[in-house]
Amino acid sequence: MRKFILVTLAIIPAAIASAQGAAPASTSSPAPAVSNSTPASSADVEALRQQVQSLTETVKALQQQVKDQQIVLEKASLARESALPQNPEPSPIAATANSPAPAAGARSRFPTEDTSVVASTTAPAAPSGAGVNENGSALPGSFPTTDTSVVTSTPETISSTGAGASLTQPITIAGGGKNYMNISFDGLFALAYSSARDLDHIEVGDHDPQQRGFNARNIELAFDGAVDPYFEGFANIVFKLDNDNQTQVEVEEAFLQTTNLPFNLQLKGGQFFAAFGRINPTHPHTWDFADDPLVHGLFLGPDGLRGVGGQISWTLPTPWYSQLLLGVQNGRGSTGYSFRNPGDNGIFFGRMTTDRELRGLQDFVWIPRWENSVDLSPTQVVLAGVSGAFGSNETGANARTQIYGADFLYKWKSSHAESGFPFVKWQTEAIYRRFEAGRGVDESFPVAETFHDWGMYSQLLWGFKKGWVAGVRGDYLHMTDSEFTADLDRQSRSRVSADLTWYPTEFSKIRLQYNHDFLEENFFLAGRDVDSVFLQFEFILGSHGAHKF
Amino acid sequence: MKLIRDVAAAVADRGPEVEKSSRRQRRRRQLVLAALFIPLVAQAKLNVVATLPDFGSLAREIGGDKVDVTVLAKATEDPHFVDARPSFVVSLRSADVLIDGGAELEIGWLPPLLQNARNPKIEIGKPGRVQASQGIRLMNVPTNVTRAAGDVHALGNPHFMSDPIIAKAVAQHIAQSFSTLDSANAAFYGANYKKFEAAINAKLQEWGATMLPFKGRNVVAYHDSWVYFAHRFGLNIDIFLEPKPGIPPSPSHLVEVIQEMKAQKIKAIIVEPFHDRRIAEKVASATGAKVVEFSQFPGGLPGTDNYVKLIDTLVSRLAASLK
Repeated sequence: MRKFILVTLAIIPAAIASAQGAAPASTSSPAPAVSNSTPASSADVEALRQQVQSLTETVKALQQQVKDQQIVLEKASLARESALPQNPEPSPIAATANSPAPAAGARSRFPTEDTSVVASTTAPAAPSGAGVNENGSALPGSFPTTDTSVVTSTPETISSTGAGASLTQPITIAGGGKNYMNISFDGLFALAYSSARDLDHIEVGDHDPQQRGFNARNIELAFDGAVDPYFEGFANIVFKLDNDNQTQVEVEEAFLQTTNLPFNLQLKGGQFFAAFGRINPTHPHTWDFADDPLVHGLFLGPDGLRGVGGQISWTLPTPWYSQLLLGVQNGRGSTGYSFRNPGDNGIFFGRMTTDRELRGLQDFVWIPRWENSVDLSPTQVVLAGVSGAFGSNETGANARTQIYGADFLYKWKSSHAESGFPFVKWQTEAIYRRFEAGRGVDESFPVAETFHDWGMYSQLLWGFKKGWVAGVRGDYLHMTDSEFTADLDRQSRSRVSADLTWYPTEFSKIRLQYNHDFLEENFFLAGRDVDSVFLQFEFILGSHGAHKF
Repeated sequence: MKLIRDVAAAVADRGPEVEKSSRRQRRRRQLVLAALFIPLVAQAKLNVVATLPDFGSLAREIGGDKVDVTVLAKATEDPHFVDARPSFVVSLRSADVLIDGGAELEIGWLPPLLQNARNPKIEIGKPGRVQASQGIRLMNVPTNVTRAAGDVHALGNPHFMSDPIIAKAVAQHIAQSFSTLDSANAAFYGANYKKFEAAINAKLQEWGATMLPFKGRNVVAYHDSWVYFAHRFGLNIDIFLEPKPGIPPSPSHLVEVIQEMKAQKIKAIIVEPFHDRRIAEKVASATGAKVVEFSQFPGGLPGTDNYVKLIDTLVSRLAASLK
């Protein structure tokens, strides 16, 4: 209040000056009325009248000034409020100075305002200063924190529960953290033993353990963040060590996607995992087992189906979650495994492959997907989807591949979950592949045939205790027999797995897994059964973007 | 509703040659079209989504019957770890307002939901986005961010809603947002805020009086989520069953806690619905303290369907256990 009066006093000279200047303009309605209604009279009276009139005008102008000043003050306080999050100190003083002193409940014993915690009130703050001091300084305590030095000098910053806990600055940019992007480093390692000498013939995923002993198959840099108001960007760069400890680098993903297209549409472009089923779009470190399901690694490829391309998705305006996606990718090379993949040494499924350029739209891989999700109850969620991938392959001039998939996820999570435990999760995917195997380059292979391959996996995970998950998984794969190829990748086979994972926190994990593989007769193995054990461990550094459901 | 019917009829009506027998078919088509148009047209109420039940409660206080409030997290579950389930995308997609904490409490699940929701109305900076921590001075902002200290929040402790004075500020931001988006009812929201403010101010006298005898007392909590409550009511809640935030209690740490509790004659252990109560019971029986069930969220304890009732319950429970 005192401050306000001072301000008012300070502007009076200026107001007078401006009032004199502005006098003709501001004499609107009352002034002419006065001069008109008075008939001529003596000069003294007239002079007096003029004096009175000019005084009235001055007063009016002053009133106007005061009003303006109030508006300015209000605006200033508003501006201050909106600027607050970036501003370390200002508001408590402002708030108290602003607050009209004669607040109604000013005599309350317990403070109802506290400018040390609420930086931006425009509401009348009643007895804050005194209450804060009373509340804050009265409390001795022993809070064992380390940052006592921050802003202890100003009266409005009080120690909270006593000595240690100091109040600090308001947050910078709410919600967004302090960086332009999340940067994280993820290391995934495995110690493996297998009764098969060549573990790389047993495991089908490129990031699975590939040899007896230690494996470092997935060491990953991940970046994500807002590009600008229109796009978000993501990138995953994977380093892996091959069995001779040579480093290989993969640009696993690097894409941008739109954030605010109308009609619930979203576009995505760059290098990315195809939205096919549940396993394919996810990174190995999020998997519930140490290795890739057979049907995924052998139909969509050891690295999954991913490539350079684009994708459009639309969430339907239905009362439940329903999304349609359509992706298109080059589908070339080993990450387009069942498509335009020339194969190892130019041979795929026994054929010498053509390795040709894109001829038209039919040579792209087209990947449609429809996924739906409903909450069965507040603790149970079901998500089901169907996917497809259609394109050409390199075993013949006009050879085509069609892959169809269906996936299902059920999850129960306790309504009293701590850190997300306990939970039960059941996930199943079935995939069918129709593969037209042509006669190879220059019709060099004796026959053309069509393979009808199918397979599925089903896994059940039980998070029985905070940080602990037990799982079982069954894998089955049926490949059409071919008279002409004895390809290892065309074996029908199956597998059962069990694992136990401990997550000390969400940034680390240790997993023990046992696999039992049933195989056909083959050249590299005496028996048909393989037992493998993996000890997998992982750590994440930095801020890793949250995962989707 | 009439508009919907007209639109549906206009679309369905293909001209005079429509036969009588197809009338039923036409009606069915109208129904389908109406169902499609309802979400677009019937937007009389503000559609409000709150990430956590405490924000939801304030939104109901301010919005009354002029808003529809959807709360994502359950009152009884750990707010750090909520599944980003797809049905939340549906709620967020059609939200006019999103109220979130803004202090990274929901960082493990909200960002992927927002990516998928594609709703420009609730972007940060829009009037439809209320970040509750805005203008709040968060406590315990770490000078050094290291995960060796457990689940530390870089922006400060995000469990700020247990301080009623902070709740008032959040309510005010909510009222501002509602008034901006629904200016026709601005006076209604403003009045509701005043009502809420007056209720809290009056209640604070009550709560303050109840807690006054216990000023300076020490209380143990399972997790470090009560620093704001302690600050408000003059308690010291700085011993935790968790050795570090988010790290499960270890036997050696519990031994230390028990010694400390005995030395300081601590009488209460605060647990939340999702914590392992058996651990707290063990410590309680070793020290003669009482286990007090607390919740950060309205609905987390019986009879606490709104914010004021929640603080009522917390204050009376704690006072009873400290006597």
